[in-house]
This record gives sequence, C-alpha cells and structure tokens, in this order.
Amino acid sequence: MNSKKKTVKTFVSVIAVVALSLIFSLLESNSYNSNTPNFRTSSYSANNVSAVSQTTSSTPTTSTSTSVSSSVKETSSFGSNHLNSNVKSDNKKKKFVGPLLYQGSNVRATYNQVKEGQTLFDESCASCHGAQASGSDRAPNLVGLGPATVQFWVSTGRMPLSNPIIQPIRKPVKFTQAQILDIVSYVSSLAPGGVLIPNIKGYNSSSIANGASLFDINCAGCHTITGAGDALASGAYAPSLHQATPEQVAEAIRTGPANMPRFNPGVLTNSQVNSLVKYVTQGIQKPDNAGGWDMGGIGPVAEGFIGLLIGVGLLMLGAFWVGDRQ
Amino acid sequence: MAKMNLEKLRKQSPKEKKTLNGQIGSVSEWLDDRLGLAKGGRVFFNKIFPDHWSFMLGEIALYSFVVLLVTGVFLSLYYVPSGALEIYHGTYAPLRGTVVSAAYSSTVNLSLHVRFGLLVRQMHHWAADIFLGAIAVHMCRIFFTGAFRKPRELNWIIGVTLLILGIVEGYLGYSLPDDLISGTGLRLMFSVTESIPIVGTHLAFWIFGGNYPGNGSIIPRMFIAHVLLIPAIITALIGAHLGLLVKQKHTQFPGPGRTEKNVVGTPMWPGFMFKTQGFMFLVVGVIALLGAFAQINPIWLYGQYLPYKVSYAVQPDWYMGWLDGALRIMPSWEFQYHSIMIPNQFFPAVLLPGIVFNIFILWPFIEAKITKDKKEHHLLERPRDNPMRTAIGAGTFTFLFMLFSASATDVLANYLTISLNIVLWFFRIATYIIPFIVAAIAYRFCIELQRAGDKAGKRKRTNIVWRNEQGEYYIEKSPAREGDFDVIGETEEEPIELTPELSEELNKKADLIGVGSSAATNELAEKFLESGEDGVKHVSRD
Repeated sequence: MNSKKKTVKTFVSVIAVVALSLIFSLLESNSYNSNTPNFRTSSYSANNVSAVSQTTSSTPTTSTSTSVSSSVKETSSFGSNHLNSNVKSDNKKKKFVGPLLYQGSNVRATYNQVKEGQTLFDESCASCHGAQASGSDRAPNLVGLGPATVQFWVSTGRMPLSNPIIQPIRKPVKFTQAQILDIVSYVSSLAPGGVLIPNIKGYNSSSIANGASLFDINCAGCHTITGAGDALASGAYAPSLHQATPEQVAEAIRTGPANMPRFNPGVLTNSQVNSLVKYVTQGIQKPDNAGGWDMGGIGPVAEGFIGLLIGVGLLMLGAFWVGDRQ
Repeated sequence: MAKMNLEKLRKQSPKEKKTLNGQIGSVSEWLDDRLGLAKGGRVFFNKIFPDHWSFMLGEIALYSFVVLLVTGVFLSLYYVPSGALEIYHGTYAPLRGTVVSAAYSSTVNLSLHVRFGLLVRQMHHWAADIFLGAIAVHMCRIFFTGAFRKPRELNWIIGVTLLILGIVEGYLGYSLPDDLISGTGLRLMFSVTESIPIVGTHLAFWIFGGNYPGNGSIIPRMFIAHVLLIPAIITALIGAHLGLLVKQKHTQFPGPGRTEKNVVGTPMWPGFMFKTQGFMFLVVGVIALLGAFAQINPIWLYGQYLPYKVSYAVQPDWYMGWLDGALRIMPSWEFQYHSIMIPNQFFPAVLLPGIVFNIFILWPFIEAKITKDKKEHHLLERPRDNPMRTAIGAGTFTFLFMLFSASATDVLANYLTISLNIVLWFFRIATYIIPFIVAAIAYRFCIELQRAGDKAGKRKRTNIVWRNEQGEYYIEKSPAREGDFDVIGETEEEPIELTPELSEELNKKADLIGVGSSAATNELAEKFLESGEDGVKHVSRD
C-alpha cells in the first residue's frame, strides 16, 4: 500500500512538473505573440500614412474610373494607381518614369515591368499584403520598402509564404528572375525610398581575407563560423548561408530581413560588403574542405555523435564479435 | 649481444642447426640468464582472460591511447607552442595576409600543408573522442557488474582518475590550436576558474599570467601539460591499472565451473594475445577510417581566436559536453555573502564536477557502507541481481546524459524547429525528473528479469492451434527448438485434464456463446488425431 501511495505521489508530481513546463512554454509563446503586433504596427507606421490614404481613396476597380484625373500624377511622381489608368495610350508609356532599382545606376523599371509586376502581385501577394501593398493584419506594409527588400524575400523563395510562422523559411523560388524584377518594380513604384539593390559587380576582385575577418566579427555570432546557421531565441533562427546568391547576401546585409540587424553604409562600406559577399559565396559555400565529410558543419555536436555512435559503437560491436556472448 | 648470438646460431653446422623455435629458445634463454625474464614471462603468458565480450571494452581505451601517443608525437614535431603573432602566408586563401598566432598558423599548416598532417591530426582527435567514450563504456561495465567491490577499490579509483585526467588532457588538446572555438573554450575556463570563491581570481591570473587573455604564457603552459605532464601520469596510471589487474586477477561472470577462487578463460599465450592483437588492429583501423573520411575540427574555417570575435553554436568536445550543458541550463542566480560573491558559473562548472567525481571515487566505499558487505568478490553480479545499484547507475547515467544533451540546445532547437527557450526550459526541468523515471524503470526491470529467471531473453515455445471439421479447437505444442521454453506445460500452469464432466461444462459454456456443440470432445479429438484427417492448421505464438 505504502509503495503504491508513493508511486502515485511521484506520478502526480511528475505530471505537475510537466504541466508547469507546458504552461511556461505557453506563457513564453503568448508573450511573443502579444509582442509581435506591437512590433509590426510600430515599425510600419512610418509608411502607413500614405498607405491608408491609398486604400481609402481607391481600389483597383474604382481607380479605373478615376484614371483620367490620376494620370497626371503618374508622370511626375510615384502614385499607387497609375497603372490602372488608360493603359492603351502610348503617350503615357513615354511619359512614365519608373522607380530606380539599382544602387549607383540610372536604370529605371519600365512601364511593362511595373504592369507585369502588378499582375503578379495581385495573383500571389495581394491576398495578404493587400491590393495596394499596404499590409493587413497578417502581413506588413510594403510601400516604400525599396527594391532590395522585395527582391530578397521573393528571390529566396521565402515569399509567397505558404505557412504563416514566426520566421519564413527558404523555399524553391516561385518566379523567374524577370518576374521577380517585375514584382520589385511594381512595389518600388508605389512610393520612393527604401534600399536599392546593392551593386556587387566588383565583388570578385575584393579581398577574401578581409571578408573572412569581417564575417567573424559581424556575422558568425548568429550564423555560426561555418555559416551553417542556428536557432536564436523564441523560435527565430539564423538561416544557413550555404544557398545564398551573391546578390542575396548583399541585400540581406543592407536590408536586415527578419531578425537580422541592418548594416547601412555607415557600418559596412560598399567594398566591405563586397568582401563579405566574396567570403560567403566562396570561403563559406565552397570551403577548402580537406579532411572528408563535414557532417553539416555544426562542429563538436556532430563530431561527438559520430565519435560515440560510429567510433565507440563500431568498436563495441567488434568486441562483441571477438568476444564470447554466452 | 643478442644479435651476435643469432649470428653464431646461423653459423652452426647443419648437424647442430636448430629449428626456428630452438633459435628463439636459445635467445630467450640468453636473455633469461641475464635479466630473469622467464619468471615474469610465465606469469604474463599464463594470465587468464575471461572470454566475455564486455571485458574487451577497456582495451578499446588502451589501444586508442596507443594511437594518441603515436599520432601525438607526430603532431608535436610540427606544432609551435607560442602565442606570438605573425602574418599568415600559407595556402589557405581566406587567411592569407591576416595576423595569426604561431600556434594557430602552425596547426593550419600541419593540416593543409604537411604530408599526412591532416590525417594524423584527425586521427588524434577521433582517437581522443573514442578514448574517453571507451573509458565511459568500460566504467559502466565495471559499475553495473559490481567489479569495483573489494578487493578492487583501488583499481576503480585509478580508473576514475584516468577518466578525469583524460577529460583534462582532451580539453587541453582542444585548446592548443588557438582557433576561434578553442579560444572561446579558454575564455569560458578563465571565467569558471575565476568563479571559485576567494582564490578564484588569483588562480585564474596565475594560470593565464594576468587578466584574460593573459601575457601569452597560457599556450606554452598548456602544451607542456598536454604533451608531457598529463600523458606521463596517464601512462603510469595505465601501468598501475594493468599491473593491479594481473596481480588481483580478472573478475568473471558466474557460470558452470566458475567460482570465487578460479578464473575461467583463455590464457595470454597461446590464445588471448592473438585475439587482443587483432582487436588492436580493429581499433586502429576504425580510428584511421574516421580520420580519413570524417572531418573533425576544421580550424582553418574557424579562424584565429581574438577575444572580440565569437561564433554561435560553439560546443566543447563531447566529454566536456555535460559541463557545458550544466552551464547552459543554470539559471542566473548569484549569491553574495558580505564581500564574497559566488558567481553562478561556480555551481555547474566547479561544484557539479567536484561532487560527481567525488561520488565516483568514493562509490565502492559508499556501497560497502550501505550494504555492510566486507567480503571479497571475484564473481560478478549481473545488473539485475542488484536492482538498487543498477537503478542508481541508470539514474546517474541519465542525469549526465541529459546534461550532455543540454549542451546542444541550440542545435536541437534548430534541427527540430522548436523555440530555443522551450528546449532550454525542457532541459531545466527534465534533467532532474527523467533520471528518477529511468531509475524507477531500471529497478522494476531488474525485478522482472529476476522473476523471469532463465526464461529472460528466450522465446516462448510455439503452440499450434488445430481446428477440426466440427469446428473444435485443439492446442498442440510445436516441436521444441533450441532456447524454447514452454508456456503451457512446464512453467506457467499445469495442463488441465479434460474429464467428461469438465468437457460437458465447457460445452455448456460454448453453447452459451454459440461456439461448438459436440458432446464428446475428448473422444472426437482422439479419433481426429488418430485418423490423421486434415484439419485447418493455425499456428500462433502462445
């Protein structure tokens, strides 16, 4: 009887502790969730003024009817609904001034790019970000974010999002290069500002050693020294860098997607960004990997696992083979 | 001298020419006359080794230590134990032109430049991981079978000391290349040393030669400890470990013909020597394969350690993992008593290993005190024979394993895509609960195994269920196979004889549930079996 009581007691206490831990974790995730909306509204409110005015004044259907009045705006400045105006007129194509896309270059998005981009945006993005890209309760406002941010999120396959989680994951890209540029053009045409797509043309001639040193100081703290990535607090994570393209590396540095801090030109100069791009795409992605299988580049955890499981395990089997089993 | 003697033997005339055996015999005779080897040799060659496979686990550690010594000598020829800074001019492009320490640059060069350098370095590192893993497994064997009991307490203490020295030695070796990850480990160790109340700061400053990172004396100091001091002590203790083993003779599992006063097994010569030699090749082979095909500690990717650089996902080697895990799950509590402050690193990184290793060392005496057992024991206990010890051992093992797993919180969170905070809280709680659950299960398991007796691990004898045309069922035993035991016949219940009364009763019951209706089950059954009619055959286990 006594022992039974004891086991019951221990069982109950075990359940109590497990329940406590669950409550703790729930509390934690709750506090995170309650934080996120605040975070969103505060960080995107800067752009909200224009966004709100756009959504109230016009939807695609209404804007076609008001096309004539708005057509004047398009030529002089960025307007949200310039494309819904009378498209057939060739004059307007000529007058159209697209947004700047690239840093240090005068290339502007063409009328057709913006137009195509709007179609793609309506198909794949508008359901969350809103028809005017001004955001909704589940997605942030994109107006004024600039080309680099949009290009990064779409070209890494993170957007469109299949599953709304804390931090989107890298997926196969849904669009072609040209289509991505169309979407970038369209979103950038909505408002000026934001970060232009960084110019990394000269990155191959910059110093890889300089890049390695900069990487150790600025990036390894989250992405790990091998670029394998790792979990950060509260479900966020630093992704692996092994699939990033040169352009994406530079865009991520300049725009700071998700939890990543943003490194503006005052922190890292353009040539430093180029060195980092070179180190990530060469030193990290194609390391001088002497010594065999790298086991995911996550260091001693994998090494200990292999050492114990394969090394000691195999030798124990060897002992079992050599010895007597009875 | 021995050579001359051999020459002399070769020159002998064909008549006098001896066989090869004879030649060896006369050489050994010559040596015996001068050194008296025969006596010791006889003890050595007649040493009996029990054949059970678990007795070979310690040998994994022994032979990986041999690999460590040989590869270590090679590495020490190229390694420069100095923190002096220089500009790297080697082959690895991302480092070229940067300022690195001589220790780091020499390790990178020996990895990427020296022929066989990387293979030997990787073998050295893998051998270290396997050395400590084998010690842990060997220690489990000794613990769970009670081989540490009187008169072998001293050898147990030597073994635990070897484990501690092995961990320290491994940590020093891990720290020597002066790369980013090992430097992070050193930084941690400085803080841990500093956290010892009162003496901590003085101790840390003394070891490092000033405040971190010190005046550059730490690398030469660690080098001397790693290549000279600790290996010498380990070698001496291994000698004492094996010497005591020969002196006290092996333990053995109980069995036919095995008593407290004999040892049954294979003698060193002829027999065990070949077996153990073969096993040595196996150990060296596995280590060489790992060294050749699995990359370990690619320090050229990690870069030179500088105190202001840090990487995420830094772990120590596995044998330090439980201490790292303890540090990770320790809440940020700090205690202050007047001017003495105890930082929170003290509890997981100083107090915990202190307690654990003291319990390990004192365990034979603790157990003898509890059980009041003062007899000599040369026969081993199976783990199930001593449920309490097995439960304590399983619980302790689980506790250390949980701490060990906690050192990979970030990796687990990343690979399982769970929030890091949840993983951390899981370990903060589970580390203290799961060991008790495992201990309780282990205890229960032992008792059940005892109850099962010799049946444990054997299969039940199959019963064949027959059904005849009338729809009646008969149970028949299958032919006995090796290792079978009876479920119905011998062990569980006596078979009930089917009397007419019982048969009637059964039939009534059968009628009630609507199965079968025959009155004379017995007779029918006999007839059925005699006639050899084909029924429907159902074979089922039990």
